[in-house]
Amino acid sequence: MKSNSRRTAFLFTCVAPAVILFTIFMLVPTFNVFRLSLFQRSTFNPQETFIGLKNFQMLMNDATFIRSMQNMLLLIVMVTVFTMGTALVFAGILTREKLRGQNFFRIVFYIPNILSVVVISGIFSAIYDVDRGLLNSILSVFGSEGVLWKGEEHVIMSLVIAMVWQAIGYYMVMYMASMAAVPVDLYESSSLDGATGVTQFFQITLPLIWTNIRTTLTFFIISTINMAFLFVSAMTSGGPNNASNVALLYMYNQKNLGGGYGYAMAIGVVIFLFSFGLSAIVNKATERDVLEY
Amino acid sequence: MKKIIALLLAMVMTMALVACGGTSDEPATDEGGEAAATTIKVAAIETAYGSQVWADVAAAFEAETGIKVELTTDKNLEDVISGPMQNGEYPDVVHLATGRPAGLTEQLIKANAMHDLTNMLATTIPGESATPADKIVGGFTETSITSPYGDGKTYLAPMFYSPCGLFYNAKLFEEKGWTVPTTWDEMWALGDLAKAEGIALFTYPTTGYFDTFIPTLIASVGGTELWESISNYEEGIWETAEAQKVLDVIAKLATYVHPNTPAQANNQDFTKNQLMVMTNDALFMPNGTWITGEMRDAEATLENEFAWGMTALPGFDSSAAPYAYCWFEQAWIPAGAENIEAAEQFVAFLYSDKAAEIFATAGAIQPIVGVADGLEGENKVFYSIYDNGAKACMGAFAAFGEIPGVTVADTFFAPIDSLVAGTITIDDYAELVKTNSAQMAAAKLG
Repeated sequence: MKSNSRRTAFLFTCVAPAVILFTIFMLVPTFNVFRLSLFQRSTFNPQETFIGLKNFQMLMNDATFIRSMQNMLLLIVMVTVFTMGTALVFAGILTREKLRGQNFFRIVFYIPNILSVVVISGIFSAIYDVDRGLLNSILSVFGSEGVLWKGEEHVIMSLVIAMVWQAIGYYMVMYMASMAAVPVDLYESSSLDGATGVTQFFQITLPLIWTNIRTTLTFFIISTINMAFLFVSAMTSGGPNNASNVALLYMYNQKNLGGGYGYAMAIGVVIFLFSFGLSAIVNKATERDVLEY
Repeated sequence: MKKIIALLLAMVMTMALVACGGTSDEPATDEGGEAAATTIKVAAIETAYGSQVWADVAAAFEAETGIKVELTTDKNLEDVISGPMQNGEYPDVVHLATGRPAGLTEQLIKANAMHDLTNMLATTIPGESATPADKIVGGFTETSITSPYGDGKTYLAPMFYSPCGLFYNAKLFEEKGWTVPTTWDEMWALGDLAKAEGIALFTYPTTGYFDTFIPTLIASVGGTELWESISNYEEGIWETAEAQKVLDVIAKLATYVHPNTPAQANNQDFTKNQLMVMTNDALFMPNGTWITGEMRDAEATLENEFAWGMTALPGFDSSAAPYAYCWFEQAWIPAGAENIEAAEQFVAFLYSDKAAEIFATAGAIQPIVGVADGLEGENKVFYSIYDNGAKACMGAFAAFGEIPGVTVADTFFAPIDSLVAGTITIDDYAELVKTNSAQMAAAKLG
């Protein structure tokens, strides 16, 4: 009995630091976000006025907020689809095919991931330059002229390209790691049955690394919400005229000027629920029986 | 044994955590000692004028009064001071500018958290017999920026000012034999002439620069009275014929803007827009005198083909006076500051001859009578704009409380990007301005 209670005390002490940290840095702030979203409050005035769900009501009529949510969703979908597609294909090629300079490609694809967003936005500022940019110079060969990459029409696509370029390496390495764990004999026996590389990829590789893909999907959603904020702040400041604004940047700006702290926290709540909801849906939709091998 | 070690380690972690939570604000001086000299915390934005001037002025202030100065300067000052400020740790004096994206000054105005400087203006400057009120150029302390509640009290002290107008390549005008337009009709005529040579009439660094252009345009159409009415969101003001003239100019100007402009009008690429004026891709841009310093490297590569020129905004017709916006930074004391009295002395000292001289060495010109007389070179030309017949336009859109989703920049300035790109019409713009102005009127402070 005595040793049991000592054991409990020991376990409690071991867990305590993590629990305390989690409470202070995660639970309390999250609770505060939810609480403040029901108040009207400016940053430097401690006076809080309870206004119920009015902040949320006003959000639904705020065209810029709706636009920034749409942009965020668009970025999540496009960046996820393109990054995942490309990373899977590259990972498949680099693990299954005997290529010269495999390690070279691995490093080259991974480099963008270790660059800071500010550096990347500097690189893309040069690439997207209207008159002297890399992209427009190439396009001019085909007779296309003066595409405004950061203009209202193309700005989201420009962000997608930069974000995909940055993320591919990271996910490629993750997929390569799990692909390397797939037993080679499965490929050998399937090739005896006449399966091509493409069939093997869809019939063997993908199903066997499915758990990994599911996990990275959740990563994608959460990281794209965060990365979109960084990329948009660095590359376009949300412009032109909010055409590239995303929800987190809008929240940040509304805190300073506009609706104040309470309103910004209401935006925070929406983003929180949105990312949770989307992750849950994606998790549910991608549920498969785990294949053992 | 292992368990005991593990337990100890866990305890150490917990202790470390608790220690992290504590604050280390031990008193800087002995409590038992004689009354230590007051120390004030001064936070100043580091701009093109550099941070050395602030260190020098702080040293001069210390020598004059014996009050110690703890100086913080940073290019993104808001990031450094707003966190502690939210926890109640206020600097005693802040030097910043309104209209910055972080909007720290605006937030404090909204929160009624500014110390009233009216009395400070009437106290004598340390080491001198004059008061700041005697020395500050008339009009500066009564603007909607320095007196945000419109109650006749001054909450922000006007600091470095810069005439803003349209900047252009004087060499190009000389070469082509063009004259700088003085009316909008001449402007459009020049625009067509330039278009034939493949040069756009107009560009702008970012839409944020319209915070000087639009007030000036309004003043050039209907005088400062119209600007006063519009900036105070007077009911029905946007329905008047004069306001319509302003809208007409904006609509027409949008068609003359270099098409690359909106795609480069962000914090990353705005210098590309500024460069267009230097490389003769566009004729005019709204800007301030700091532009010469900002683009110095580019200017060096264009040796004989470029020289800065600056003009006031054209008048609406030949009888109307040209206007040039007068942009200035501000110094203020947060109401939560600990050493208000010493802080007031510091702000007063900023207007001393000594401080003005130090600031002027870096090109930072205060609105003190006579200071601009000693200028040389380009700056002499720029600052003499008001002596050459241009009238000064000052102030900003009146301060208002929190309105979800509505900001001055998103209402009046940012949509111009869309006007240029053709994704909205001038009617859409006018509609937005009218609806939001009505909301701002309802939430106006003071």
